[in-house]
Amino acid sequence: MFQRFVRDFKKYWPYALRSAKSTLKAEVAGSYLNWLWWILNPISFMLIYTVIFGVIFKASEQYFPIYVFIGLTMWDFFNHVVTHSVKMIKSNKNIVTKVYIPKFILIVSDMIVNAIKMFISFGVVAVMMIVFRVPVGWGIFYILPVLAGLFMTTFAAGNLIMHFGVYIQDLSNIVNIVLRLVFYFTGIFYDIEKRIPVPYKYWVLRINPLAAYITEARYALLYGRITHWGLLIAWVVLSLILDVVTVRVVYKNENGYVKVI
Amino acid sequence: MRENAIEVRDLKLSYVSRQSYSIKQTLFQFKKSERNVVEALKGVSFDAVRGEVLGVVGRNGSGKSTLLRTLAGVFSPDSGTIDLKGNSISLLSLGTGFQPEITGRENILLNGMVLGFSEKEILEKQEEIIAFSELGKFIDMPVRTYSSGMNSKLAFSITAILETDIILVDEVLSVGDTKFRKKSYNKMRQLIDDEDRTALIVSHQENTLRDLCDRVLWLHDGEVRMLGEANEVLDRYMEFMK
Repeated sequence: MFQRFVRDFKKYWPYALRSAKSTLKAEVAGSYLNWLWWILNPISFMLIYTVIFGVIFKASEQYFPIYVFIGLTMWDFFNHVVTHSVKMIKSNKNIVTKVYIPKFILIVSDMIVNAIKMFISFGVVAVMMIVFRVPVGWGIFYILPVLAGLFMTTFAAGNLIMHFGVYIQDLSNIVNIVLRLVFYFTGIFYDIEKRIPVPYKYWVLRINPLAAYITEARYALLYGRITHWGLLIAWVVLSLILDVVTVRVVYKNENGYVKVI
Repeated sequence: MRENAIEVRDLKLSYVSRQSYSIKQTLFQFKKSERNVVEALKGVSFDAVRGEVLGVVGRNGSGKSTLLRTLAGVFSPDSGTIDLKGNSISLLSLGTGFQPEITGRENILLNGMVLGFSEKEILEKQEEIIAFSELGKFIDMPVRTYSSGMNSKLAFSITAILETDIILVDEVLSVGDTKFRKKSYNKMRQLIDDEDRTALIVSHQENTLRDLCDRVLWLHDGEVRMLGEANEVLDRYMEFMK
């Protein structure tokens, strides 16, 4: 199965890339401010959360706006891919009923789209770091293993939700509720380590990979280090295992998807 | 005797209408909803020789389209084997998969890539495809603005110009307006007259099949009823359908 995955990945990667490009192009063509939205959107939410939690609830985290922005940027990536994957097969009905395409490629393509938006957003983070005079060292490269983990977890989640989304009609409702729950327990606008009392905060970080990634990404970018290496490595390894399992599930069932839609 | 391009052995495929469920149905409906099993193909075996044009006939629901889609790899068979001898294959059917929001030009690329062609190969033939499709300036507009005729013209042009070793044709010989129909028919002829190209054609038009095909496969309720020389099978089939 592993060989098949590598072969399919190589073969269809150009397609995934091209398809992502087209999607972005179509998005840009359809709106007035076009690609500016990819920056404006997270900035607006960052401002909202900064005002509400920074001013009204008096959050005391250092570099609070950057802090929120990193969280939102990474969360948006995960959130969009997972939300799209519920209807992934249906929205690509045109393709999947006409030719064979490994279905995980659809997730890969959507991940490319959202990763590009995420990188643009990280560009804004970089600008903010200069403005706030955050001291920068080689430590910021610790962001790379964190992002690798984020990609692997998102890929596994996307595959799994895509699979069940074919058979369960109202999965999108459940997914939305779960995502909202995870959102609040990911500490986008607060510090899990500070705000959640002692035994529970470890559980949140252990159960919720997003919380772990976002926390580590903040440490990496703002302070140039990783706080919980063990946790990060554990999540990366676990995600890798989940990737294998979910790709296997999708491979096994993918030709049945067409019969359902 | 030339070598075979397609070998199909005992192909079985059934649609278990494992319909999608809502959570409520699953939780509150204790009565198990009956599983509809439709056997679309019940052990189909046949060979197609390289370069041959094989027609497929049968009533509606006899499994013709399912057979073509299974050959194209859209469905995986429940049992049985398909051996394409390493040939590339494409399914030509009404309205190939286009992304509505992006332009025709980009859809050509996407479509070609999903069929397994490299970007370079497609770009080389892009102008030819656009010219054949007669879409003119529409090629740079989003596909959602196309009429259904334009849609099928583009679909036909892509598969016809990006030639694969095996082409599967599902009822597309009546694409577009009269002029384009004539043109596409001729193109189709030219394609399948190629010594090395194997074609499977599903059609309800008797004349077309008599004209184009060497042999005809008659499917009836998911089984091969008859396979043989085109006129012979078609005569029997026409008699049966009276």
